[in-house]
Amino acid sequence: MNGFLEYVPGTSLLHRMNPVAKLLFAVLFAITCFCTGNLVFLCAMLVFALALAASCGMMKQTFGLMKAVFVFSLILAILLIFTTPTGDRLIDLPWGYIGTGSILAAVTTIVRLEAAAIPLFLTFYVTKMSDLSNSVVKVLHVPYKYAFTFSSTVHFIPVFMNDMKGIMEAQTARGVEFDVGGIVNKIRLMVPLCVPLLVSSVRKTNSAAIAAEVRGFNLRTRDSGYKQYPFAAFDVAAMVLAVLLLAAAICITVFL
Amino acid sequence: MTIEFRDVHASYDATIPILRGVDFTVNDGEFVAFVGTNGAGKSTTMRLVNGLLKPDAGEVLIDGIPTTQLKTSELARRVGFLFQNPDSQICCNTVRDELLFGFRALKMDMDHAERRVDEIVAEFGFNPDDDPFLLNRGTRQLLALASIVVLETPVIVLDEPTTGLDFRECVKVLGLIRRLHEQGTTVVMVCHDMEVVADFAERVIVMHDGLVVDQGPTFEVLRNRRTLEAANLVPPQIVDISLGLSIMQPGLADTLIGSANTLNEMEAAVASAVGKGDHVTARPTYAPTAPGAEDAAGIVAPATTPAMFEGGAR
Repeated sequence: MNGFLEYVPGTSLLHRMNPVAKLLFAVLFAITCFCTGNLVFLCAMLVFALALAASCGMMKQTFGLMKAVFVFSLILAILLIFTTPTGDRLIDLPWGYIGTGSILAAVTTIVRLEAAAIPLFLTFYVTKMSDLSNSVVKVLHVPYKYAFTFSSTVHFIPVFMNDMKGIMEAQTARGVEFDVGGIVNKIRLMVPLCVPLLVSSVRKTNSAAIAAEVRGFNLRTRDSGYKQYPFAAFDVAAMVLAVLLLAAAICITVFL
Repeated sequence: MTIEFRDVHASYDATIPILRGVDFTVNDGEFVAFVGTNGAGKSTTMRLVNGLLKPDAGEVLIDGIPTTQLKTSELARRVGFLFQNPDSQICCNTVRDELLFGFRALKMDMDHAERRVDEIVAEFGFNPDDDPFLLNRGTRQLLALASIVVLETPVIVLDEPTTGLDFRECVKVLGLIRRLHEQGTTVVMVCHDMEVVADFAERVIVMHDGLVVDQGPTFEVLRNRRTLEAANLVPPQIVDISLGLSIMQPGLADTLIGSANTLNEMEAAVASAVGKGDHVTARPTYAPTAPGAEDAAGIVAPATTPAMFEGGAR
């Protein structure tokens, strides 16, 4: 079973695309989502993002991600509802009111965050981390150290999540009841677990750094990678599409 | 306290079954070892025993009560679980706090807890003010074991307790486990080291591909070459030698070796069968026998250094 942000093998078009093209497309897609507040356009972007997920068989992972993003965006949405008094007045508050505009702003935020997040996360699910960092070094001329740091960070996320799961299980086996009480109780119980997680993280990171050093990490240059990452017609088409979407979002914001 | 598995099916992801109908019983006070290759389902079985995983089908009964009806904390009072990696378990800043952690989590009487911790600190030779994260791997494993032992659970489950330990640390950990068992604790252990299994377990359960393929008294199972081969397991070397002798000298070797119920007895039987004195050793011994002392079979323990360090057969 694959974990969070772990590469899922496949042969879909998204899997076969150039890693840099995927990354640029995802970044432009996210920027597009933040360039407009038009709810219809954002809904269309969300549908498009879901279609991309379906095309590479990542619907299960995408729904998992959407749930996590929803929780985060819900907090923002609630804040917006109570702090953005616009539109027709619905409920009066001591410091203002909740209006139709407040609700619209909240819904827009949720849809925007969901739509922006999906392609970014899909990029990691359909691209090997080594390909992503190598291509960024080769094509975008990013220094290898930075690309490696980024890819290592992402690589360690599922590792640390597994560690945390193991630590929670170990404490559950000692009688810690994570499944009872409210959120405050859960947080109280989780705090001591940060210590072993931190210790294991530092130990793992240190081991990884030493292992990289002894294998000549500092000798690595942009040209020392063997694999080439040529751009195909579809890669160019994807980037053109991303630019067109961005232009459309800007036009909608400016002219509507 | 008995542990009973009745036609247990279990999985982490509903699409990939890990256990496919496991049946066994561990009786009160027994020392049972689970053996099998990686992926056989041993660790999953252990997780079912302490309720970290619930069965998809079938029943796991602890003293007759299904684990599905028991809360985690109730199970933690009955079953102590030693994880393979002590760093998953250790979370406090001092050894003393670490040993008290279980009592606090289970909301037990703290006066009793303090007394128990004092006993355990003395027994294990810990410094209660030490930072657990600065201890060496073997001592951290001992601390993890101690934090289970201190709770006096009637059952302890050990998931590969000797992984990553050097020989002397293994001897220490296993000596403590043996003592617990002698005091009446039911011990269930997953172990890849067949010599540890042969030295300590009363009964062995062989798992392969999510099924129990054999179970019985340790030496009955270890002598069953067909089962071990089917489960991709290699018996201890002396057992292998004895099996070879059984083929070469069926009459003599079978009579002697077939009756051996410890590795020491088996070594004596092999020595006798090949006419080489009273003792052949092809292994280090994990059994806590004092140097020069005789064991139940009348075998004199090696003076100090195990055979493997003297250029022995292993």
